[in-house]
Amino acid sequence: MAASRLTRRRRRAGILLSLPAVALVIAFLGVPIGQAIYYSMTSWNGLTSTWIGPSTYSTALSDPIFWRVLENNALLLLCIPFALGIPLGIAALLNEHVRGWRFFRSVYFLPTAVSWVVIGMVALQFFAADGTLNKLLADLGLGSTATDMLAGSHSALAALAITFVWSMLGTNTIIFLTGMATLDPTLIEAARVDGLARRQIFVRVTLPLLTRFIQFAFVITVISAFSALFSLIFVMTGGGPGLGTTTLEFFVYQTGFAQGQFGTGALYGIILFVIMIFVGLVQLRLIKPADEEGS
Amino acid sequence: MSRIVLQAVTKQFPDGTTAVQSLDLHVDDGELLVLVGPSGCGKTTALRMIAGLEEVTAGAIYIDDRPVTDVEPRHRDIAMVFQSYALYPHLTVYDNMAFSLKYRKVGKAEIKQRVAEAARILELEPYLERKPRQLSGGQRQRVAMGRAIVRQPRAFLMDEPLSNLDAKLRVQMRAEIAQLQRSLGTTTIYVTHDQTEAMTLGTRVAVIHGGVLQQVATPQELYARPANLFVAGFIGSPAMNLVDARLERDERSAGPAVVFGSHRLAIPPQVVAEHPALDQYLGRDVVLGIRPENMADAELAHNADPQAILHLPVKLREELGSEVQVHAAIGAAAHLSGGEAEDVRSLATMVARMNPKTAIKEGDVARVLVDTDALHFFDRASGESIRGGPVS
Amino acid sequence: MAAAPVDPARPARPAPTGPPLPSARSRQRLTTGPVFLLMVVVALVMLYPFYYLLNNAFRNQTQYDQQHGHSVAGWTQLFQNLPVGSELLNSTIVCAAAIVIILVVSTSSGFAFAKLRYRGSGTVFLLVVAALMVPLQSIIIPEYVNMAKFNLVSSYTGAVLVYAALGTPFATFLMATYYRGISDELIEAAVMDGLSYERTFLQIALPLSLPAIATITVLQFIQIWDDLLVGLLFLPTNDRTITVGLAALSSGRTTSIPVLMAGSLISAVPAIGVYLIFQRHLVKGLTLGMGK
Repeated sequence: MAASRLTRRRRRAGILLSLPAVALVIAFLGVPIGQAIYYSMTSWNGLTSTWIGPSTYSTALSDPIFWRVLENNALLLLCIPFALGIPLGIAALLNEHVRGWRFFRSVYFLPTAVSWVVIGMVALQFFAADGTLNKLLADLGLGSTATDMLAGSHSALAALAITFVWSMLGTNTIIFLTGMATLDPTLIEAARVDGLARRQIFVRVTLPLLTRFIQFAFVITVISAFSALFSLIFVMTGGGPGLGTTTLEFFVYQTGFAQGQFGTGALYGIILFVIMIFVGLVQLRLIKPADEEGS
Repeated sequence: MSRIVLQAVTKQFPDGTTAVQSLDLHVDDGELLVLVGPSGCGKTTALRMIAGLEEVTAGAIYIDDRPVTDVEPRHRDIAMVFQSYALYPHLTVYDNMAFSLKYRKVGKAEIKQRVAEAARILELEPYLERKPRQLSGGQRQRVAMGRAIVRQPRAFLMDEPLSNLDAKLRVQMRAEIAQLQRSLGTTTIYVTHDQTEAMTLGTRVAVIHGGVLQQVATPQELYARPANLFVAGFIGSPAMNLVDARLERDERSAGPAVVFGSHRLAIPPQVVAEHPALDQYLGRDVVLGIRPENMADAELAHNADPQAILHLPVKLREELGSEVQVHAAIGAAAHLSGGEAEDVRSLATMVARMNPKTAIKEGDVARVLVDTDALHFFDRASGESIRGGPVS
Repeated sequence: MAAAPVDPARPARPAPTGPPLPSARSRQRLTTGPVFLLMVVVALVMLYPFYYLLNNAFRNQTQYDQQHGHSVAGWTQLFQNLPVGSELLNSTIVCAAAIVIILVVSTSSGFAFAKLRYRGSGTVFLLVVAALMVPLQSIIIPEYVNMAKFNLVSSYTGAVLVYAALGTPFATFLMATYYRGISDELIEAAVMDGLSYERTFLQIALPLSLPAIATITVLQFIQIWDDLLVGLLFLPTNDRTITVGLAALSSGRTTSIPVLMAGSLISAVPAIGVYLIFQRHLVKGLTLGMGK
């Protein structure tokens, strides 16, 4: 059945109008991924490139340094429950709509406007040996526990994690707050009439209804964790001490640009990409079923 | 000057559903034709095909003998009033009405004059500089009409323009639209699901069900001589009472009588004369239709023909002030057809609209006088009305 | 309490038995106080770094060491070590250019995906939005190579294009969601009035999408202004943004803390300013993006 003139014109307009976006995305996001896959199987120092083939992957995967780096990533991911849980609590607080809550909402979202570079610099001063944290501890009489958090690799990771969670609080709080605002209040009221206590209502009614938003926040947080930590690491630790805080995304930069091994850098970049996709699919599986069973 | 003709127009969607089945329709110049039917019957789809917003799967559409089936909407010279009014939110009332004229290369002075004229007719003059969000529902509806009027098109297409208004406003706007159409004389096709709107507005009314045209005729014709069970049950409120019955030969009068449950009604000779086909149904099953307004309290009547009286136990009496609606048990199977009837459980009752002075109360066995001149008969299998003989 | 009038038709109610049930009102009062307190505590935690920043940006080295006193000495040093003015300008130019591209591209494609279906448009839309998941690090190496090959790293162009490509998926998603909210009948009315679909986009859809455009502008401005990696790699040194300049300054060990704080303050102010002014649009826009 031939399409009517109107339908044809609509289709043409659709293709025309969506072309720029598609072209931009393909040219600057799609093609590079393909190229990265190609580069990842070469040895390349920016001038000469030698094809090696898929064995580059097995070489990389058997490199203990790679696993050390990945371990750092895994440890950092441990902070995600905090990055989601604390904002849930804050959002619940704000949702009470106590006087001035809008003002507080503005304040909580403020850190999102600030660059990670800036946040990193302040955090650096906070965690340094002669920094604010230690001074605070001293004031509280806990001077003996003073540490240079950035000196030990695990404590440095912890410092990074704390900074990251702090910076994500605002974004995730807004996401959850918005979610709570879209909830049907009659469901909560029905639960109250049925005799559930506040806490039970939150766990049994509110949380399941927020599934979509928790999903959204999870994705945003993971994406940020992988991409934004770069700035924090660059400013706070430079990857150190040693490999202590070198995460995969920083490692890509280091290998590629600092060490000039473009092929290997691209390889790590691809692995990073695969991990991201994997995480995305996993969270879809984990969190979705509850939502589909209906509210 | 516009005649619109649809020839065997069919619409089938990609998923297989047929929304409109081989529709044949003609709209005369200056006529207001109403397409009416329950939700999903295909009336809006048909309208959109005439507008050019929906592709025609098969068949042809002509405007003034010019085939427009493949012509784009903007070249068909028709204007549409949408159910949601579709007013451009960022433009003033004036700009909304002037909008299309700008794209048709109409001169500025001409535009001004047309908009002013339409604003005058629709009493929109004080609102010309306002934006849609500052207007009430009724005012927005008028702007939507104004937008169509200034186009001076060959025809107006209206898609349920009153359904978003509250009841009182709807009645008022109904009258205004009728007067407007008559004074402008523009051919109009009007879609609605409300049979009252259809009956009051239409020069002729086309009843559509399941994508198939059931009957197209004047309102009076549809009321008095419905072509099938669907039309009979759709037009008129409360709906016509439909009962499964049987035609028998009456020993006394030697003419036919209709029997259902323990009841019997003699069919008067002039009815037999108007419905010659009844003859073929003697001894067979039929569906009998009696309109609630054709049933009265026998106590209040003079010289009631005993052969036209039913004795029915009364289940419910509803006071409406201007009339009383009496629900009485028939003791026979009410006729159920598919579609709408499935929503209503068979209560095996009939509804009668009676004079408010009636003393009938719940629990009584009422003597109900039936106007046997106004009986309707339908073939039980096909649902077609049984008539035969000269048909308009 | 005045005695209620006695209705002879109704017998007096029997006296209540058992302990009084907790009053709903007292429960409400109970929660308001602690909630407020908690909000203040959270606010303090959020605001502390800003306090630190402001405090130390206005100190010289000795004052910083002793954590006492204020001066503007740090600022003169800052302007000596960093071409602040030109870097701020660069940040602005890069942001503006990238945002313009993002808006043009996302409004038109958002409208197309929302209202102008064509064969495969659903899949294409999904792919564009899925590009969100592509981590920057995965593509920077080939990206850099490509840019260098086409000589786009000697000026703003390379960075602007990369920023634009990175911001497009989310912006397109937001615009498509927003346009879906426009009734189909509005588009059809324009069609009946004789407009082409392209014209309908320009004259009807675009004027109506200002709130969504505001949201995208704010979000992208903050993201691009605050970005480090792209600026670091794709901008030549004289075209550096303030964020990159600041990071470079901090990695050189000779700079004093107050100077860095001053630099941080300067680079943070515009983004904070934009955020504060356009807050409402942000919240509205995020609500929209998640509603679907």
